[in-house]
Amino acid sequence: MFRIPLVASVAVFAAGVVFAAEPIKVGISIAQSPPGSVVQGTQVKDGLEIVKDIVNKQGGVLGRPIELVYEDNQGIPEKGRAASEKLITKDKVVAITGGHQSSVCLAEIEVAHRYGVPYVNTNCWSDDVRTKHYPEVFNPGNYNTRVSMAMAETIAAMKLKNVVAFAENTDYGIGQAKLLDKFIKEKSPGTKFRYETLDRASKDFTPAVLALRANPPDMVINIMLPPAAYILMNQLYEQGVAPTAKTWSYDGAGLADYPDFWQNVKDAGKDMICFALYHPKMNIPPLGKQVAEEYTKRAKAEPNRLIFQAADSLLLIVDAIKQAKSTDPKAIEAALRTMNFTGTRGTFKFSQEPGYTYQQWVDIPYVNYQLTAVNQPISQSHLIQGPGQPLDVSKLQKPAK
Amino acid sequence: MLVVDLFVNGLIVGLFYALMAVGLAMIFGVLKIVNFAHGEFYMIGAYTYVLVALKLGVSPWAALPLAAIAGALVGWLVERSLMRPLYAGYGSWSIMKDEYAVVVTFGLSLFLINLVDKVVGPYPYRGPALVETSRFAIGPVMLNGQKLIAAGVSAALLIGLALFIKRSLWGRQIQAVAQNRLGASLAGIDATRTTSLIFAISGLLAALSGALLAPVINPSPDVGGFPAVKSYVIVVLGGMGSVWGAMIASLLLGVLESFFAVYVSYDYRDAFGLLILMLVLIFRPQGLLGEKVREL
Repeated sequence: MFRIPLVASVAVFAAGVVFAAEPIKVGISIAQSPPGSVVQGTQVKDGLEIVKDIVNKQGGVLGRPIELVYEDNQGIPEKGRAASEKLITKDKVVAITGGHQSSVCLAEIEVAHRYGVPYVNTNCWSDDVRTKHYPEVFNPGNYNTRVSMAMAETIAAMKLKNVVAFAENTDYGIGQAKLLDKFIKEKSPGTKFRYETLDRASKDFTPAVLALRANPPDMVINIMLPPAAYILMNQLYEQGVAPTAKTWSYDGAGLADYPDFWQNVKDAGKDMICFALYHPKMNIPPLGKQVAEEYTKRAKAEPNRLIFQAADSLLLIVDAIKQAKSTDPKAIEAALRTMNFTGTRGTFKFSQEPGYTYQQWVDIPYVNYQLTAVNQPISQSHLIQGPGQPLDVSKLQKPAK
Repeated sequence: MLVVDLFVNGLIVGLFYALMAVGLAMIFGVLKIVNFAHGEFYMIGAYTYVLVALKLGVSPWAALPLAAIAGALVGWLVERSLMRPLYAGYGSWSIMKDEYAVVVTFGLSLFLINLVDKVVGPYPYRGPALVETSRFAIGPVMLNGQKLIAAGVSAALLIGLALFIKRSLWGRQIQAVAQNRLGASLAGIDATRTTSLIFAISGLLAALSGALLAPVINPSPDVGGFPAVKSYVIVVLGGMGSVWGAMIASLLLGVLESFFAVYVSYDYRDAFGLLILMLVLIFRPQGLLGEKVREL
C-alpha cells in the first residue's frame, strides 16, 4: 500500500533537487506519429529532454523546474495549429518550441503570433517562416537560403556543368529547390540546373531516375526527407545513375547522421557528399560537448544536428527567462531579441534585418563531408569543408565506376 | 532504350500493384465492401519479414513464408472478429453494412499503424535482400536483383491464384459465393468458411507483397497507405470484384504511369492514374472487366 509513495520519495531525493515551486511550462509540438517525420520528432525530443534534465538538476530557472508539455502534431499543419492553440490556452505555456517540419511551423506561428507567445523554431528550414516578420518567432535553426547558398558554392567549387535535384513536394522541398536554382545562376552561371518534384508518399521513383540514365548529370542532389529520400538514394544507385564515376550524389537534406541512415541506405551511401550542420570534428562550445556526452551515454550513438538544435531551442528559452527574470511571454520575447548566448553550437544573436534573416541566427556553422565506406560513422567520414572554410576539392574521392 | 527501360519497370511495378489489388478485389467480390485496412496487411507482411530476418536472424527466404502466414492469419482473424456481423445473423447491422465496413476497417487501419509505431518504433527499416546482387544489366535494362525476384514470385503467385480460382473446388466455391451468396448456401457451400478463406488469401497476398518489397521500400508504419490507394483505383478500374480485371488494370496502370512520368510530368504521375479512373467511370462505369448490374 505504501510502496508507491515510498519509491517516489526515494526517487525525488536521489535526484538531488526537490522543487516546491510550480513548474514553468514550455510547449513542445513535434511529430510523434505518422505521417509526420517521427524520426526527427524523436531526435528533437531527445535533445530537449537532455537540456530539461540539465537545467532542473541545476535548480531550474527562477527557482522553478522546467516542465515540457508535449503535443503530437503528426506532421500535419492543422494538427500543429490545434496543438499550439491547446498549449497556449489550456496548458498556459510560456513559449513553444520543437517545430521541425516547415508546413507545420507555418501553421503554428500564426497561433503564436495571435496570442503573442514566443515561438523558437527548432528545425523548420523554409524561409517563409522568417519572411512573415512575426516578432514572436525566433530562428536558431537552419534556413533554406543558407543551405541553397552552400550547395551552390559547392557546385561552383567543383566546376560542375549539369546538375539535377530531386525535391519533395512540400514547402521545404520546393522552396529549397527554387532557391538553389537562383543561387546557382548567381554563383555558377555556366551550370545547367533543373529540379524535379517528387511525391514524398511515393515508393517508386524509378521513372524519374530512368530519365537520367541516357544523359547522366554531373551531380544529383537530394532535397527530400526519409523514408522517401532513402528510397530515392537506393533507386539512383540501383539504376547506375549516382554515385558513379560520372555522377556525384549530394545529400542536401543532412540525412547521413540520422540514426537509421545506414540501415536503410547501404551501397548507395558510399561516396555520397553530404551537407551537414554538425560533424564530430567541429569545434563546439563546452555546453555542446556536455549535451553530446549525455546523448551518447543515453542513446549509445553519436549525436546529430537535431539533438543540438533542440537543445539550443530550450536553452535559449531558459536563458531568456533568466534574463527577463519573468515568465511573461512579452518579457521572454524581448530578452530573446537582444540575446547574446553561447549554446551548444555557438553564440546566438538574432538579426533584425528584414527578409529571410529576420530574427534568424545568421551565421550557422555548416560543413561538407564525404562518406567513403558503407556503415561509416560520421566521425570517420572525410571532412571536405570545415566551418567557415572553402571546400577542398582535392579531398573528394570519386567512385571507381 | 529508355522506352524498354520504362516498359520493363512499368510491368514490374504493375505486378506489385496486382498482388495487392487482387486481394481487395476478391473481398469486394464476395462481401461488396471495401477493406480500408488492406494496406495494413501489406505493412504487417513487410514488418514480419524485416523483424524476423533482422532481429531473429532468420534467413530472408524463410522469413518470406512466415510473413505470408502472418498476413493470412491476420486476414482470417479480422474476418472472424470484425467481419462476421456483416452476414452472420446480425439482421439490423446488415442494413447499415456499408457504414459498418467503412468504420470498422478504417478504425482497424489507424489502430494497426499506431500499434506498430508504438511497439516497433517510427524508424523505417530496410529488409535484407533475398539476393546480394543489388544491380545488374540485361542488355540495355538495369535491374535490381530483389525487384526481379519479387516480380517473378508475384507473377507465379498471380498465375497460381488464377488457376486456383478457376480449377480447384475451393476456387469454385469462391466464385459461387461471389455470384450469389444465398444461392451458394442453398447449394451446400459453406459461405462463412469461404469468406474466411478469402480474407486469409487477401491477407496472404498483401503481406507477401509487403515482404517482397521490404528491401526496396524501406517500410515505416504508414507504408501501406500508398499501395492501398493504388489498389482502390485498380479495383474500380478493373471492375469491382473482378480478379482478372484487377490483374489487367494493375499491369496497365504500372506501364502507363511509368511512361506518363517521363514523357508528360512526374509531378502528375499519381493524378494520371486518377484521371484514367475518371475516364473509365464516365465511359465504362462497370470497369474494364466488370459486369453491368441494375439493382431493383
